Amino acid sequence: MINFEEELKKFHPSLEVEDAEDAIYNQDLTDVADMLVGMMKEAEKEDQRRLE
Amino acid sequence: MKCYNCGCQLSEKEFCTGCGADVALYKKIMYASNFFYNEGLEKASVRDLSGAVASLRQSLKFNKNNVEARNLLGLVYFEMGEVVKGLGEWVISKNLRSEKNIADDYINMIQENPSRLETINQTIKKYNLALGYCQQDGLDLAVIQLKKVLSLNPNYIRAHQLLALLYMKAEEWEKAKRELDKCIRIDTGNTTTRRYLKEVEAMLDVAENARGGMRKKALPDDVVKYQSGNETIIQPVGNRDNRSVSTVLNIGIGIVIGIAAACFLILPSRLSSADSAAQAELRAVSEQLDKKTSTIEEMEQQAKLLTDENEKLKQELNDYVGNDGALEVVDGLLQTVSVYMENPEDTEQIAQSFEKIDMEAAGQVESERFQNVYQALLAQVGPSIASSYYEAGLDAYQKEMYEEAITNLTKAAQYDQENGDILYNLANAYRQNGDTDEAIEAYTSVVTKFEGTERARRAQKYLEELNEG
Repeated sequence: MINFEEELKKFHPSLEVEDAEDAIYNQDLTDVADMLVGMMKEAEKEDQRRLE
Repeated sequence: MKCYNCGCQLSEKEFCTGCGADVALYKKIMYASNFFYNEGLEKASVRDLSGAVASLRQSLKFNKNNVEARNLLGLVYFEMGEVVKGLGEWVISKNLRSEKNIADDYINMIQENPSRLETINQTIKKYNLALGYCQQDGLDLAVIQLKKVLSLNPNYIRAHQLLALLYMKAEEWEKAKRELDKCIRIDTGNTTTRRYLKEVEAMLDVAENARGGMRKKALPDDVVKYQSGNETIIQPVGNRDNRSVSTVLNIGIGIVIGIAAACFLILPSRLSSADSAAQAELRAVSEQLDKKTSTIEEMEQQAKLLTDENEKLKQELNDYVGNDGALEVVDGLLQTVSVYMENPEDTEQIAQSFEKIDMEAAGQVESERFQNVYQALLAQVGPSIASSYYEAGLDAYQKEMYEEAITNLTKAAQYDQENGDILYNLANAYRQNGDTDEAIEAYTSVVTKFEGTERARRAQKYLEELNEG
C-alpha cells in the first residue's frame, strides 16, 4: 500500500530556467578517469620520492 | 581515444606510444563509458527513458567528456519534460566541444523561440506551485495546477506521476490509471510509474471483484451448472433454441432503431431547414412591411406639414381680407383718400377715417405705391390725430386715470413720433402707473431723441430716480 505522505516527500521542486546557470556551474563533473589520472600521478610522485 | 598524459592518439597497446604512460586501466574506463552509452542508446530507442538516464549518467561518471552520451542524456531529459536539466547537459556538452556539436542546434532551437522557453518556465513554476499546494493539503488546487502544467507540457513525467498520486489519494483509480498509462507511453521503464500502476491495478481488481461477486450471487438462480468430463457447463435455465424468434426480434429492433434514427437525426435537420426557410421569408416580409410603414409615416408627416401650412396661409389671408373679400387695409386707405378728396380741409373726418386703418398691417404691406399714399396721408393728418389723442391722454393723466392716459398717449406717439411732449407725458403716465420698465424705456427715448431740451433734462432726472429705486 502506497503511503501518500511518504511518496510526496520523493517529489522535489523542479529547477527553474533562472536557476539553470548556477546549477551548471555547481555541477560536480569529476569522473572515474579524473580519479584514475589523479591516483596515477600520486603514485608517480610516490615512486619519485622513494627513488630520491 | 587520446592519452590522458600527453594527448597522443592511443594504439592497441596498453601503453602510450608517445609518452609511455600505462593506459590499460584508462582504456577500460573509456570502454566502460562507451558500453553504458550504448546501453543508454538502446534503452532510449525503446522508450525506456528512465533506464536510459541511468545508463547515460553511468557513462558520464566514467567519462565526463563523452559528448555523445551527454547530448543523448539532454535529449532524454527533454523528452521527459525536464527541459532545464536537458538544457544544462547541452550547455556543458557545448563547452566541452564547441564545434561540430549537435548540442549547439538543440540550444539554438530553444533560444530562437523565447515564447517556448517562457512557456516551459511557466510549466515548471506551476509544477512547483502544485507541489507546494500538495504539502499544504490543497490537493484540489494542486490538481488544477497540474492539469494546466500538462496541457502546456504533456510529456512532463513527474507532473503525470504527481497527478496520479493525487488521484490515488482521492481514490479515483480510473483517473490515476489514465495518467499512469500516459507516463508509460512516454517512459516505459519508470519504476515509480510501475509501482503506482501496480497499486492502482490492484485496487481496480478489488473493485472489479466486488462487482463480480455481486453478479455471481445471482448466478445460481438463473443457470444450471454441471460437469461434463473435464469441463464445467453453465447453462441458463429454460434455454431453448429460439433462433428464428431472435432473428425476427433483431429485425424488429433494427427497424425501430432505423425509425428512431430517422426521427432523431434526419427529421430535426429537415425541420430545422424548413424552419430557417420560413424565418428567412418572414424576415423578408417583415423588412418590406417596415419599409412601407416608414413610407406611410413619412407621407403622413408631409400631409400634416402641408395642412398646417395651408391653415397658416388661410389665417394670413383672413387677416388681410375683409368680409367682402377686399383687402381691409387697402380699403381703409382708399376710404381715407376718398374723404380727403371730398374735402381736404376736413381733417377731423380724414383723421376718423385714417384711424380705422390698422397701422401695424399697413406697415407690412410691401407695395411702394401704397406706402407712398399712406405716408403722405400720415404726414397730412398724423399731427392732428396725435394732437386729439394727446389732449385726451393729458386730460386722463390729470384725472389720474393712468391706464386711459397710457392708451391715448401711446396712440398719439404712434401718429406723431417727433413730439417730445407726448413721449415725455407717456413716460410720466407709465411711471405713475407703476410700469417702471416701460417708463425707463420712454424716458430713455426722450433723453436720446430730444437731447439738450428741458424735457430731456427732466427725463434724465426721473430716469436716475427710477434706476436708483
